[in-house]
Amino acid sequence: MSKSGKAEQNGLNIIIVGAGKVGIALTEQLSKEGHAITVIDSSSAKIREITGLYDVMGITGNGASYTVLDEAGVSDADLLIAVSGSDELNLLCCTVASRSSKCAVIARVRTPDYSRETSYLRDKLGLAMIINPELEAAREAARMLYLPSAIDVNSFAHGQAELIKFKVPEGGKLDGITIAALGWDSDFQVLIAAVERDGEVYIPSGSFRLMKDDIISFVTPRARAKDFFTDIGLATGKVKDVMIIGGGRSAFYLATNLLRRGLTVKIIEIDPARCEELAILLPKAIVLNGDGTDEDLLKEEGIERADGFCALTGIDEENILLTLHARNVSDAKVITKINRINFKDAIAQLDLGSVLYPRYIATEAIVAYVRARYNSTSSNIETLYHLYDHRVEAIEFRVGGNTEVTGVPIMQLPLKEDLLISFINRAGKIIIPRGHDTIEKGDTVMIVTKHSGFTDINDILR
Amino acid sequence: MNRSIVRYVIGQVVKFEGALLLFPCIISIFYKEKIGLVYFIVGVLSFLAGIAITHRKPASTVFYLKEGCVVTAFSWIIISLIGCLPFVITREIPNFINALFETVSGFTTTGASVIDNVETLSYTANFWRCFTHWIGGMGVLVFLLMIIPLSGGSNINLMRAESPGPSVGKLVPRMKESARILYLIYIGLTVIEFIFLICGKMPVYDAICTSVATAGTGGFGIKADSITSYSPYIQWVVTVFMILFGVNFNAYYFIIFRKWSKAFSMEEVKWYFVIIIASIGIISVNGVRTEQGPVSDIIRTASFQVGSIITTTGFSTADFNTWNQSSKLILVLLMFIGACAGSTGGGFKISRIVILFKTIAKELWSYIHPKSVRKIKIDGVPVEHDVVRSVNVYLITYVIIFCVSVLIISFEQTDIVTTITSVAATFNNIGPGLEMVGPASNFGFFSGWAKCVFMFDMIAGRLELFPLLLIFHPALVKEWFVRKPREKANKIQSSND
Repeated sequence: MSKSGKAEQNGLNIIIVGAGKVGIALTEQLSKEGHAITVIDSSSAKIREITGLYDVMGITGNGASYTVLDEAGVSDADLLIAVSGSDELNLLCCTVASRSSKCAVIARVRTPDYSRETSYLRDKLGLAMIINPELEAAREAARMLYLPSAIDVNSFAHGQAELIKFKVPEGGKLDGITIAALGWDSDFQVLIAAVERDGEVYIPSGSFRLMKDDIISFVTPRARAKDFFTDIGLATGKVKDVMIIGGGRSAFYLATNLLRRGLTVKIIEIDPARCEELAILLPKAIVLNGDGTDEDLLKEEGIERADGFCALTGIDEENILLTLHARNVSDAKVITKINRINFKDAIAQLDLGSVLYPRYIATEAIVAYVRARYNSTSSNIETLYHLYDHRVEAIEFRVGGNTEVTGVPIMQLPLKEDLLISFINRAGKIIIPRGHDTIEKGDTVMIVTKHSGFTDINDILR
Repeated sequence: MNRSIVRYVIGQVVKFEGALLLFPCIISIFYKEKIGLVYFIVGVLSFLAGIAITHRKPASTVFYLKEGCVVTAFSWIIISLIGCLPFVITREIPNFINALFETVSGFTTTGASVIDNVETLSYTANFWRCFTHWIGGMGVLVFLLMIIPLSGGSNINLMRAESPGPSVGKLVPRMKESARILYLIYIGLTVIEFIFLICGKMPVYDAICTSVATAGTGGFGIKADSITSYSPYIQWVVTVFMILFGVNFNAYYFIIFRKWSKAFSMEEVKWYFVIIIASIGIISVNGVRTEQGPVSDIIRTASFQVGSIITTTGFSTADFNTWNQSSKLILVLLMFIGACAGSTGGGFKISRIVILFKTIAKELWSYIHPKSVRKIKIDGVPVEHDVVRSVNVYLITYVIIFCVSVLIISFEQTDIVTTITSVAATFNNIGPGLEMVGPASNFGFFSGWAKCVFMFDMIAGRLELFPLLLIFHPALVKEWFVRKPREKANKIQSSND
């Protein structure tokens, strides 16, 4: 029955080890997309909670034990995702699973010691993917510090292109301009992909007129982003001096990144032992042992003069308060890390500026992988981001073969409503498409849409 | 309380019952009985009503355990109300209370009847009575889970409310798939029994009715003497299948997927067979001692009655009223034990009894070693404290409802054995009791009030008490009737759109 049932069910058999926050977020998203999910966790209370909320099966036990994995049906599984709290358990779990069945395995590995050996681990242990939420979050944070006007930066095409979100300032060049006029006006090489106004999200057409306080997302080749901000008069000084509160893993990754680019980094960490570790690992950074929520300490260390301020402690409330304080006393670009996934709406209303959700980043990457794996026909999903609270999806497809969309000028394609082709990546060159451009075999194509659940490039057609 | 989803699911149930009412129509066409038209009209009206109710999609599809319980309790009440209409309209059971009693008894797979001689009923009516057992056996909502698209995972709360047993789990990750597997096993076993009965030269109509009534562990017979007049072969077939339907269906799932070691190490199923064999042994020895005929007959009769009572089916091949005291007492005990959790049978459930006995053992152990830490285990897996606690509470609630019911029924001025066994037989969804409600008699002589108490007991017993009790809870009644200002919720809703 399991064999014949599989084709009929139209979904993958997925085992998720660890019912923590990422585990729950993954369960929610993947079960919504119609996959058969079994969750393993050692805590029976967590299992009871998750089986009550979602249509999944729960098993209490150690995910690295073969007996437990067998009970979860590892022999029939297509994919195992290990997102428990411990890196070692995740890796062991994946090793056991990949040795005992043919399923693909994904592990979350967060410790810096292992993350330097990602490719070695992936090859030797046969992992399909290693995900490090803190590292990804740090990369995003670094990018936002590079473009201080942006609220949010997402990378596509292996970092070649970026989707950047920012708020239209009053009286600037963009205030009151239509999208079409923007296109004629310059050789900007940007494409406005989505606009949020008064809580509504629009995928704009040429006649759409931008207004002040719109939150817009635009796509641009990486090298052009800075120029665009200069062109529209939003240029701000280069960030040179960054203050990081909290010395956790994401702080370490961020500091490493920033120091490599020659910035000055101050890290304030409360635990003396961790400070010593950081001082050894990051000799160029200024490591301060103290309470980051101490107003006097922040003042003493020059919060007013800092260009960048990152609240990366482990406590969300503290991060939010620090951010609000920093916005009050300085003009620095402020980045807040939020660990919790719930209360996203309430946090969005606080106007904190750039917010990092390491757990979301991990979830999105895995969901994109699952969608790509689920559809192994002519084209695949390379990257997937949810924007504006899941109301808009930005998806990067790989066009594997010739399909209905290839070779036809874009203006002649019968595209769905609320959908935009944002860029075409042809052999590393980013093309912001005009009406006469075509999609060809071998390209990767990014689209922005208000629909959800796309798995194939052909889904963009009506 | 998410009222819209409650309305929506109940609407689906009504629609579903409309479709089910067409089955007796097929029988009536075959036997050229005009009353089939009544079933057809009631069915179509019910179907249309269902469509009208479900026309508006629910505002939100999430539901929690309380919604699951409320939906379940109301669904069972409503299907009984609709299901009894054909009996009243065709005047085969003219009294409304009697007709409702008969239908409740059918859906809850009790099999207690108010009809003096079932052979006077039409083929259509007799089939509908037996068919209600089949519908109620595995559960209406479990069936709905298989066909209606209820998004979200919270629909396990529906299954938790309807399926018997102290802890309800799924067989496979998807609810829909789990429900489908359960129903496939159920239908498969029913068909196999039907084939076996046909091989024993049972008439096709009788075989259909008997197999659906066995499958739901119901017990409505189509003959006045139940199964007595059929051949020994048929009696054995029915015995075996009654016992099979009382086994936890997870065991069949494990067998189908070749997880042999798991299938044969289920503690509950082991105890189930131990109890059956021991009871058959004692009753047979009693029978032989009092010289009631050839040994093979005695064993067959004993097996049939034991299988019938422990699985709470309620068929009979002998009037056990005439048996000796110890045999009768064993049957009464079996009434309370009931079948396995996760089967179609009723009663207290073997798994609960096993947990209770292990709790006693643990308690005694703690007298010997006061500081000892011990966990109760079933199938080698520790039972969560919550489950143990809920079993204890279940026992207390069960006893209280039982005592209160007996007290009310005692006003009927029947003898004490009749009073107690009539409540036991309905509360545990068996059917026949002893003395005045024995297998050769029926429940027709009770007053309307008493029948209402029995109906409450039957539904409470089938739904395992709490879903039915919950709808009388003041907090829930208040939540149901008092509309809270919902401006805030609406505002959030509209901003999300």
